[in-house]
Amino acid sequence: MIESRGVPTVTLGLVRAHLEATAPPRALFVPFVLGRPLGEPEDAAFQSRVLRHALGLLERVDGPVILEDFAVDAPSHRKRPGWAPGIVLPGGIADAPGVAREIAALMPHWLRAVARFGRSTVGITPVAPADMAGALAPYLAGGKVESPVAGLAPALALRFIADDLKAFYSEAAQEAGEQPGVGQVDRWFWSETLAGQFLVALRRAGMANPDNAIRAFATRFLVPVPYLPEGEPR
Amino acid sequence: MARIEDIPEPTRSAVLALAIAGFEAHPFVAGPPLASRRVAVVTSAALHRRGDAPFQPGSAEVRFLPAATPASDLVMSHVSINYDRSGWQRDINTIYPLDRLRALAAAGVIGAVADTHYSVMGSTDPATMAETADQIVGQLRQERSDAVLLSPV
Repeated sequence: MIESRGVPTVTLGLVRAHLEATAPPRALFVPFVLGRPLGEPEDAAFQSRVLRHALGLLERVDGPVILEDFAVDAPSHRKRPGWAPGIVLPGGIADAPGVAREIAALMPHWLRAVARFGRSTVGITPVAPADMAGALAPYLAGGKVESPVAGLAPALALRFIADDLKAFYSEAAQEAGEQPGVGQVDRWFWSETLAGQFLVALRRAGMANPDNAIRAFATRFLVPVPYLPEGEPR
Repeated sequence: MARIEDIPEPTRSAVLALAIAGFEAHPFVAGPPLASRRVAVVTSAALHRRGDAPFQPGSAEVRFLPAATPASDLVMSHVSINYDRSGWQRDINTIYPLDRLRALAAAGVIGAVADTHYSVMGSTDPATMAETADQIVGQLRQERSDAVLLSPV
């Protein structure tokens, strides 16, 4: 759509079938996991290889459709069995007070992660980590919910506070040590933490909420299906 | 782990079942040598400044991201929960590679990094985004940007 308005483009693509179907002018298929178009975090040389290959296609004139493959997998696609977050979880019950205690226990780890990476991706909504469990708790009751975030519909507030909660845990888990393999942080979150169980319970409650949007968001946009426990509705 | 067979179900089937509209026309625009191009990024990761309203699912809007925006000011409100976010949490260049582009500009591989970059919601139907494309191209022309890297999640 940009090329048709006169500006040359090159596309990175993570799903080759989509590149074949859309046939953009210049595309580089990159064989990385969804969410990592440059392939490898904290590896400037690897990212630059991807970029140089893609940008090099801008000099090609043998269009109108150029599709190339980046032939190298990203190093983090390998499992790193030794990886584990250096966090001792307090345990307890996966209700709002229990999750609030877990968040408090993670807070020093998260603060060190923010210092390590120089930033945080938490903050889609203004709800602070210490207040997230309390802000989400009313959704467990199953009835009409007042949005805990001004200007956001209740369903969107649920969704984005949950996103921030996941990001808080994921960043805290990466506070120290080597980089985890792809998926390892998510597996830890969904299998080990009270917050993971809490979000599964919120999903279950949300799926019965009278608000259509909450039902839809709870069903599809809280818990990735591969991490749903046995017996949870799909 | 990498290709379509490595995407966990049911995301894999959902990704492959997406109704992808091909384009009837195949525009193809040539440009000057890469070393003299001004490069802008269009990311479909729904990035925006912390404190701004999140992207709504299905939104066709574009957010302009000044190149000078600190990485620490950016958050992501993409609708999908089925992709890796740990890489972006560690290093913004995993999806939005301005630092890498700056290095390529310093090395003379590209001419310059644009002053403005662009963020859209990746799951939105492109058929609803003609006005958005007009806005993006208007700003590209104003800044004399003459190359665009489209980066998905």
